Amino acid sequence: MQGSTRKMGIMTDVHRRFLQLLMTHGVLEEQDVKRLQKHCYQVHDRNATVEKLEDFINNINSVLESLYIEIKKGVTEDDGRPIYALVNLATTSVSKMATDFAENELDLFRKALELIIDSETGFASSTNILNLVDQLKGKKMRKKEAEQVLQKFAQNKWLIEKEGEFTLHGRAILEMEQYIRETYPDSVKICNICHSLLIQGQSCETCGIKMHLPCVAKYFQSNSEPRCPHCNDYWPHEIPEVFDPEKEREAGISKSNRKSLRSRQH
Amino acid sequence: MLQKPESGGLPVSQAKGEKDGGHDGEPQALTASRESPREDLGAVREEGCAEPALTRRGAGALARRRAYRRLNRTVAELVQFLLVKDKKKSPITRSEMVKYVIGDLKDLFPEIIARAAEHLRYVFGFQLKQFDRKHHTYILTNKLKPLEEEEDLGGDGPRLGLLMMILGLIYMKGNSAREAQVWEMLRRLGVHPSKYHFLFGYPKRLIMEDFVQQRYLNYRRLPHTNPPEYEFSWGPRSNLEISKMKVLGFVAKLHKKEPQHWPAQYGEALADEADRARAKARAEASMRARARASARASVHRW
Repeated sequence: MQGSTRKMGIMTDVHRRFLQLLMTHGVLEEQDVKRLQKHCYQVHDRNATVEKLEDFINNINSVLESLYIEIKKGVTEDDGRPIYALVNLATTSVSKMATDFAENELDLFRKALELIIDSETGFASSTNILNLVDQLKGKKMRKKEAEQVLQKFAQNKWLIEKEGEFTLHGRAILEMEQYIRETYPDSVKICNICHSLLIQGQSCETCGIKMHLPCVAKYFQSNSEPRCPHCNDYWPHEIPEVFDPEKEREAGISKSNRKSLRSRQH
Repeated sequence: MLQKPESGGLPVSQAKGEKDGGHDGEPQALTASRESPREDLGAVREEGCAEPALTRRGAGALARRRAYRRLNRTVAELVQFLLVKDKKKSPITRSEMVKYVIGDLKDLFPEIIARAAEHLRYVFGFQLKQFDRKHHTYILTNKLKPLEEEEDLGGDGPRLGLLMMILGLIYMKGNSAREAQVWEMLRRLGVHPSKYHFLFGYPKRLIMEDFVQQRYLNYRRLPHTNPPEYEFSWGPRSNLEISKMKVLGFVAKLHKKEPQHWPAQYGEALADEADRARAKARAEASMRARARASARASVHRW
């Protein structure tokens, strides 16, 4: 029946500003989200206690439900950082990407997406993507231009670039997971632990099942003899650390130093 | 409450349809919406089939519930459509909304847009304003006050700062400024029409295309000039989003003076403030009347 029985939350200017800013950024890491929340309280309701983030977001989501959008929480595939983005619940016509990109640019994204999904590592090389430039719909695009468009995708957090190769940004996975699973049901990879879409991860060399790096970290935490959950064979890859926001803040570790977690192991 | 998945939700999956040229990004995204009302009904029909055999009265109630759901769904899509279009800052026309979102519910346009406007106001703090009655064009303005510290977001800050400079020049020159004067002022700031600027991109394109298309500026040819000369004036969006008093304040601060230092402009700004206050009072009164009327009507409709 129309309408949920769940009690709907209340929106104040604190929540509205939060939503507007989250929309402007597209995607934010959890600690930035917390800072954003505090900022909104500072501006509109200085004396109020800052609500716990989870409750704050659930409150907003209960209001967004009737608009078929929600603030979704995900985790970056390479180092397990929690991220948040505003996503469409049902795959309707209007998409955020469409405002910023022309027809041929969107088609370039689709080509890159297909290469990424089909790849073993979850990465598609810039060269391979650029070689498809002649097949694009819409206005003809030169390779030089396509290189800049790929950079634009990276700047807008739809793709991540690493050493000349591209993979999906956590934001794209949050926004497009449903669409990707429906459109590429045969080539899509799924994590054996969390059953969500998998782009980057580790594979069992015996039976082929795949797991996200953060899922590997959690599953094998403090396990000295990691074994494949499916075939029980010895798990041959380096087990990453579970993401700990406290530890990171104390040590002041910059993202670029955590290279050990980023090695692609397949 | 997820709807049955629709094919091609993302623009990338859509085959190209007809489209008004020159609006590259939009048509892609928007072709799918044609299917959605039908598929929406399809999903709803499936839910309906699971129910037991209905009496005629029951069937009527079911049809009303479905229609209600479909209406709510369309309102939600319109909200998303408006948010997405507003990001580009281009004004949205009623015909676009009907073509891409509302479809054959277009007789319910007033109700749909009123509900969408209410969602935008309550949930996001945006105000939907009609600024061209003849062409039924709308824009979104922000009810929340803008903050300086938020300006690094999205790169809009510097561009709007440039716009402010231009609006200020136009106002101080008596509400219109020749193109040559605008470029002369900008050149003094180190901004040249066709030289790439790290903050503004290509200034000529930003000012002559983007700002004009977004209705922040009007650009027209001066009659009887040869070689042709052009002038800038405030566009309708500027009139809605900012006031003469605010712009005068901005100019005054730049020159480290008080607004009253320019008595003619100050007087004009005062008169403008009075006009705005009157218009606002009128709008609020008519909105209250409309709300009462629609509340009465909706009780009967559903």
